[in-house]
Amino acid sequence: MPDFTWETQSPLRKALVVGRHGAGTGAAGVTLREVRDIALVQVMARRGQAAATAKAAKKLFGVEPPTSPKAVTAKTATLIWSGADQFLAFAPHSGDEFYAKLADTFAGIASLSDQSDGRCALHISGPRARDAMAKFCALDLHDTVFPVGAAASTAIDHTNASVWRSADEAGEAVYNLLVFTSFSDSLWHMIADAALEYGLDAGHVSAVQ
Amino acid sequence: MSGYTETQPLGRTATADGRASPDRSSAANQSHRLANGGLIDRQAPLQFSFDGKSMSGFAGDTLASALVANGVKLVARSFKYHRPRGIMTAGSEEPSALVEMRTGARKEANTRATTQELYDGLVASSQNRWPSLRRDFMAVNSLLSPIFVAGFYYKTFMWPAKFWEKLYEPAIRRAAGLGETAHLPDPDHYDKAWAHCDVLVVGSGATGLSAALAAGRAGARVILCEEDSHIGGRLLSDGGEIDGMPALDWLRRVTDELASLPNVRIMARTAVFGVYDGGDFGALERVNDHVPQPAEHQVRQRLWRIATRRSVVGAGAIERPIVFPGNDRPGVMMAAAVRTYINRFAAMPGKRIAVFTNNDDGWRTVEAVVRAGGEIAAVIDPRGKVPAAYRALADRSGLRVLPGQVVDVKGGVDGVRSITVATGSSTQNIDTDCLAASGGWNPNVALSSFHRGRPTWREDIAAFVPGVSPPGMIMAGAANGDLSLDACLRTGHAAGAMAAAETGAKGKSGNAAKAADEAFAIQPLWQVKAKGKAFVDFQHDVTASDVTLAQREGFESVEHLKRYTTLGMATDQGKNSNVTGLAIMADARGRSIAETGTTIYRPPYAPVAIGALAGHHRDQNFHAWRLTPSHHWAAERGAVFVDTGLWKRAQWFPLAGETDWLQSVKREVLAVRNGVGFCDVSTLGKVDVRGADAGTFLDRVYINGFSKLAVGKARYGLMLREDGIVMDDGTTSRLAEDHYLTTTTTAKAGPVTQHLEFCRQVLWPELDVQLSSATDQWAQFSIAGPRTRDLLINLVDPSEDVSNEGFPFMGVREVMLRGGMKARLFRISFSGEMAFEIAVPARYGEAMARNIMKAGEPFGVVPYGTEALGVMRIEKGHVAGPELNGMTTASDLGLGGMASKKKDFIGRIMAGREALMAPDRQVVVGIKPVDKARRLRSGAHVVPKGAIPGPETDQGYLTSVCFSPVLDHWIALALVERGRERIGEIVRICDPLRNEDYEAEICSPVFYDPEGGRQRA
Repeated sequence: MPDFTWETQSPLRKALVVGRHGAGTGAAGVTLREVRDIALVQVMARRGQAAATAKAAKKLFGVEPPTSPKAVTAKTATLIWSGADQFLAFAPHSGDEFYAKLADTFAGIASLSDQSDGRCALHISGPRARDAMAKFCALDLHDTVFPVGAAASTAIDHTNASVWRSADEAGEAVYNLLVFTSFSDSLWHMIADAALEYGLDAGHVSAVQ
Repeated sequence: MSGYTETQPLGRTATADGRASPDRSSAANQSHRLANGGLIDRQAPLQFSFDGKSMSGFAGDTLASALVANGVKLVARSFKYHRPRGIMTAGSEEPSALVEMRTGARKEANTRATTQELYDGLVASSQNRWPSLRRDFMAVNSLLSPIFVAGFYYKTFMWPAKFWEKLYEPAIRRAAGLGETAHLPDPDHYDKAWAHCDVLVVGSGATGLSAALAAGRAGARVILCEEDSHIGGRLLSDGGEIDGMPALDWLRRVTDELASLPNVRIMARTAVFGVYDGGDFGALERVNDHVPQPAEHQVRQRLWRIATRRSVVGAGAIERPIVFPGNDRPGVMMAAAVRTYINRFAAMPGKRIAVFTNNDDGWRTVEAVVRAGGEIAAVIDPRGKVPAAYRALADRSGLRVLPGQVVDVKGGVDGVRSITVATGSSTQNIDTDCLAASGGWNPNVALSSFHRGRPTWREDIAAFVPGVSPPGMIMAGAANGDLSLDACLRTGHAAGAMAAAETGAKGKSGNAAKAADEAFAIQPLWQVKAKGKAFVDFQHDVTASDVTLAQREGFESVEHLKRYTTLGMATDQGKNSNVTGLAIMADARGRSIAETGTTIYRPPYAPVAIGALAGHHRDQNFHAWRLTPSHHWAAERGAVFVDTGLWKRAQWFPLAGETDWLQSVKREVLAVRNGVGFCDVSTLGKVDVRGADAGTFLDRVYINGFSKLAVGKARYGLMLREDGIVMDDGTTSRLAEDHYLTTTTTAKAGPVTQHLEFCRQVLWPELDVQLSSATDQWAQFSIAGPRTRDLLINLVDPSEDVSNEGFPFMGVREVMLRGGMKARLFRISFSGEMAFEIAVPARYGEAMARNIMKAGEPFGVVPYGTEALGVMRIEKGHVAGPELNGMTTASDLGLGGMASKKKDFIGRIMAGREALMAPDRQVVVGIKPVDKARRLRSGAHVVPKGAIPGPETDQGYLTSVCFSPVLDHWIALALVERGRERIGEIVRICDPLRNEDYEAEICSPVFYDPEGGRQRA
């Protein structure tokens, strides 16, 4: 009997060419990262159970899930609004552990849908990130309109994307994108294209520290 | 009264910064360049060529100003009559000076020389002439002009109709027209971008700057768009004094202050071309039109979609010509344009300039010429009464002032040589090489009318002013009919302050700047009635007599006038011709202009290249694509891909030595039928349906029942649209008491998901149901063929039972695979063979493909593509997209028996309509050719044997065809009238498109294993 191994593959394994691309040679205007090894679960309150779901979430994560387009960062996960009475729980991948913990927490009060492989996570940052994003994202990302913690569900190149803003260690804006896995190769090319004139630093990071 | 100031302009001059004297050699070649002044950089000489002739200009020039500086008068031939034309204006309204820019793949026709910035090495050529601009054979059209009148094409080429396409149109297109396109792919990149603000200010003249400053100081987010390369609008050409300082100093201070405000963004070279619903504006930024070619990674142009809450339009006014014989000769220019060339570009358009004006503003050109040391041949002012200040200027400078009209212009291809002026009953000839004419100013109302706001007539300025503007738009300054500098500053400031306040800005806007309030007096003169061709629309060669002819022939409404004569329908959209044309029409009808009315404008205000509208989306990026989890694995095996919606799916996997797709597909089918194969089916839509009422929800959505489906089982389902027509099909599995997984066809995944969400949120909000798309979460493969179980035994953990008893047909459960991977296993079959679908999280898609290959190696497993998948489903008689065509009912598909009678479901009532139940409907059957060597093609029609093919005898058509490797001949599924009653009948198959006509037999659609034993084995 042959040995069976189960390596994972990134949907960007061809599209993502690590390194400095585009104009200039100095610091890139745009930094684009694929975030690998993610866990993502859609949590949808059962009918009439929105309050109970929020309460259970608070107990598990230490924060209330957002009830408007926002992203709330907790110690073990980020909770991103994804519609009425539902949110996405985003965390480092941990085998089945994260989903199992949620299934336990929300048993009977919320339905779960595992999207860990259904979405591809990206980080866009750098001094020209917003200029590049203006080419494919209709959202107003101005500091006063889309501050840290703001989130939106929007259309990017005819497909749905979740966008939220966080900050890096230096406090600079990081735009987080969740896009459908099957679209990610196409979207990566488009985002990279949008960034080339500002200089692009492409790479990947792991959500697991 | 104002004039150009004596202060230092913004551009550098030879002496301004104390540097070495200018490049005398290049300046010396420029016969019409003034020694001083202008916003040009004399330290930066630029070489360029026009029609192969080398010339020089300076940074800051436009192509037009450089041509003026070099004394070039003739730059184009007109559209219809091939008349020699020159440069008429100095802005984007230019109708005549259209040139071909650049060469090779970057060649671009119909570029306005007045908006093209000069760069070193610029190559431009004239267009619409042969063999040369000076000797143009098609100028013979001008001699034939009596027949090229309004409505000429309608009148002449109406009959016979068939001659139009083949003879008339090509001949006319060769003779008429303007430049030629490159016929090569555009090598440049374009993109599109969004911008957001509270207040969008259009135009950066006195009005726009005042508005931007007022709004910006108040704290609003402001975007200021200017189509020119320089901020300043008419201030760059007219100078004047603002707040006690020279206008250009004021301009510098304001631009410095705006630049210091972080909430203000200035976008030069950006033309706002349209306003759309919801406060979105379209704008085109000419990012790199001013350089030979964009730097690497840079775009040529960028299309902006600007979302704003308020807008202030300070788009200024456009000077209008007077219609008189010969008014199109090279050297006849708009008076304000002459002023622009002198003041902004230090280029004198003539050695001896005559000015013909019916309003005060024309006198400012007289003043500019005198100030620059030019010679005034005469000033013709039909009003007779000249304002005192200008009378003094005339006296001081000894100018000849004639209270008359220009009745003729004489000259050749090199332009004006003399004009004839009628004063009372006497006429006189005056030698001149440049006639500056002004018929008054038309407020630039275009943006205000884009939502159908009709401009209204204002008698005092003899012009149309904005009517009802789109929501949130404030028209200000000259664009609103306030023609004086002071009024522009005042209304611009007020508009900016108001717009900012309406968006919630709380800061102080400060005070409006002030200027002396100039008078603007005008006595309308639209047309000089004298013999000779007098042009109204210069780009489309529409003359005054065309307008009056239209009136005589009954095309009196402004809309008819426009279409009958093509007035205002050229790329300049009649910016300087529309109002004049309808004034002449009003006169011909004996009505007032207000009664006659005006046409309105449509976007785009300025031409927008298709490339800019496409942006990133061209060539391989024409649309987004979706890749399956095993895509790169399949690509590495040499798979041929096909676009299925946005998906790229493996169509077949050719092996070395296979030269024909059919060869590969036959091999793949036989490998499955005789052994085992697998195919990536991840593209099928997958929707997680959860909640206590999930079963009830599915009962209402599908025609068959799901609430009683056992956990661990799958069932085929069919859903209807509200109108009773089949919407989609697929299997649904019950994974847990409150968890179903529904699959859709690849094509309908999106619409079905939307439909389900609609049902959940709108139709039955009382149900406890949660939906989530899981399509991209799973890598799913169909493994099919008699050796499937053998393969699975190698793949699954030894503890798993995949025997027929342990895992029966339509069973579903989670299994453990060797190597410690959990997977979902579904025993469903599309091919008619024993088959399973196996699903793992998408990140393991390639590993899954490799491991299936490994597990199936002893049994000769092959990957197969969508073609083999299609062949096997046709052999098995399964319906798919060609049969689920949006016109068929469940019964048409032979699936009517699935409909539950015990419950209600979407489409039930409507499916019972008489026509949908009619016995003579076309239903799905199989078709096999009588001559087994015959190839079938989909789309061929079915008619009864012996009938003459035609609409009356047509009984259906072949929907899906394939070559069946197991039967060794072509087969088809077809929709045939009363088909099920006609099994065994020989019919005639007609394909008039491919000229085929043969006989075939109607048969059962199930060609393969009709008992279904193989899939249950």
